[in-house]
Amino acid sequence: MTNVTIRGLCKYFDRVKAVDNLDLEIKAGEFIVLLGPSGCGKTTLLRCISGLERVTAGRVFFDDHDMTYLSPKGRDISMVFQNYAVWPHMRVEKNIAFPLKVKKFPQQEIKKRVAWASDLLRIEELLDRYPAQLSGGQRQRVAVARAIVVEPRVLLMDEPLSNLDALLRVRMRSEVKKLQQKLTVTTIYVTHDQVEAMTMGDRIAVFNQGMLQQVGISDVIYHNPANTFVAGFIGSPQMNFIEVEIESINNELYLRTKNLTIPLNDKFKAKVSEHSGIRNYILGIRPEHIYLTGQSKTYPVTKGKVYFLELLRSDTIIHLETEFGFLVVKEPGDLKLEENREIEVSFDLNRIHLFYEDTGNSIMT
Amino acid sequence: MENLIALKTNRIPWALKIRGVLTILVAIFIGVWFLTPLVLITISAFASPRDYYQIEKVIPTHFTVEHFHALFFELEGWQAMLNSLKVVGLTILFSFTVGLPASYALSRYKFRGKSFLKLSMLASRMFPVMILAIPLLIIYMKIGLSDTIYGVALAHTIMVLPLIILVSASILASVSVDYEEAAMIFGLSRIHAFLKITLPLALPGLVASAILAFIISWNEVFIATILNLTNRTLPAHIFRSAMDSPDYFKFTAGFIMSIPAVIFIFFVRKHLVTMWGISLK
Repeated sequence: MTNVTIRGLCKYFDRVKAVDNLDLEIKAGEFIVLLGPSGCGKTTLLRCISGLERVTAGRVFFDDHDMTYLSPKGRDISMVFQNYAVWPHMRVEKNIAFPLKVKKFPQQEIKKRVAWASDLLRIEELLDRYPAQLSGGQRQRVAVARAIVVEPRVLLMDEPLSNLDALLRVRMRSEVKKLQQKLTVTTIYVTHDQVEAMTMGDRIAVFNQGMLQQVGISDVIYHNPANTFVAGFIGSPQMNFIEVEIESINNELYLRTKNLTIPLNDKFKAKVSEHSGIRNYILGIRPEHIYLTGQSKTYPVTKGKVYFLELLRSDTIIHLETEFGFLVVKEPGDLKLEENREIEVSFDLNRIHLFYEDTGNSIMT
Repeated sequence: MENLIALKTNRIPWALKIRGVLTILVAIFIGVWFLTPLVLITISAFASPRDYYQIEKVIPTHFTVEHFHALFFELEGWQAMLNSLKVVGLTILFSFTVGLPASYALSRYKFRGKSFLKLSMLASRMFPVMILAIPLLIIYMKIGLSDTIYGVALAHTIMVLPLIILVSASILASVSVDYEEAAMIFGLSRIHAFLKITLPLALPGLVASAILAFIISWNEVFIATILNLTNRTLPAHIFRSAMDSPDYFKFTAGFIMSIPAVIFIFFVRKHLVTMWGISLK
């Protein structure tokens, strides 16, 4: 088990900053997910860790060993590529045995390990085939088997499931996670799929524009997002953002905009009074934390016209047109609401997030 | 009524039928266009002189291999053919030793002046061979390369190198970088990754570009005639000797010229098909 430390890592392509001054500590045996939209630099970071890409500045350590300028072959790593990269001119068995052969393992050991890996991924019956004769999912298994067969110090995965069809992806998610738990190999997993990140990662590192936005367990990322980017990127449908002003009414602080007035939650009070000079904030609330009134009247209320309904049958997503813009509400189950009807909704006060308007950072950090 | 619809929908539209027939006609036309000379050359190459000169006999009935014997052994065609094969072999060897690293760089790296470099390679082909040949001969005479097969092979290398580089670059580019990078991740250096992974995957395409070099070098007459006097390649030899001979000799020479290319292409035609296709993916 190896821990990976990244210090002040920068990678520029000409003038484009793909990764910008990044510090990240990955614990031994951890499954960390690098999550972000396409072009955010997460794959570049992975390639810097692998040695396929030379860093512009900064350092990469495996335990206490400086790996920054080592070629990939000196790093004792494995990688699973997005498009599998299973060599088409070799049979499956040869593909899996290849890393062992390169590292000059004895013949017996190679046989044993190939058998072990192919058993683990249930591809024994495919060993004699060529990759062209395999389905995408099978090729993915071969790629994973090839990656684990050497028992690498660090296992890198670059969107390994994104080329699989939806059903298979769900199944492979749990399989990859279980496999990693069994092998306890330090794993760095790149994805743009938040569901993959939430379900698989011990910790999630959220990226945007080459910069680390937040690192933490999924619980923290979801419930205490560090800024509006993380808040908006995680969660589906997206969190609602409403520009609000702080207003004092009868010595009580309220968040106000147009026809919405929300009493300031206790947890925000200390922070907000500290910065009494700042008046403008962004209120964030997730669609599942807005309720149709009638169920409960204890929360602040606002009104809106039903603009559009997404009937997912398990849930209903309601797009409301309000005076301060669109509001998305998620309600469990099948709802029957006709468009253009005016309805009242209430916010879960304890689930409100507050961000500075200028920086987008959460006021809680 | 329902039957009527079934009847109608089962019918192939006229336009499609005509298009099918036209396609076949065009294919036949192209086939005839290219194969007729080959067939005529082959027939005439084996025709006995009497049949050949008999005007009313379109297809000769008496065949002989006498011309081949004469051309090969009495007119030293055998030696010329060996020379030709050596020149072709050396040309392919030289142009790939120099060209493959260049095409790898063009296919894998981005660098300043890349497209200019590609263009300037083609520019070297814009020089007429006639202008190059005489200075080349003088230089060769000074350094002792004139009248050797190495000299001709080098000159042919200059001719085919730009094409080899450009064609090979696009073939190497069609082999996904991921295969190579995967090999590097699993413990190979870049050179070994190229030799063990990329080269075998690109081989069919590279063989096809070798054919290109083969055909250019095999058919080249001008430089080969000027540079060499005694060690002539086959086309140069035929150009000098066979052209003064009776017509059926010319056909025999033509047949000999085309046979190696036909055999060569026959063996690699499977790879020619895959050159741009699926097998590299």
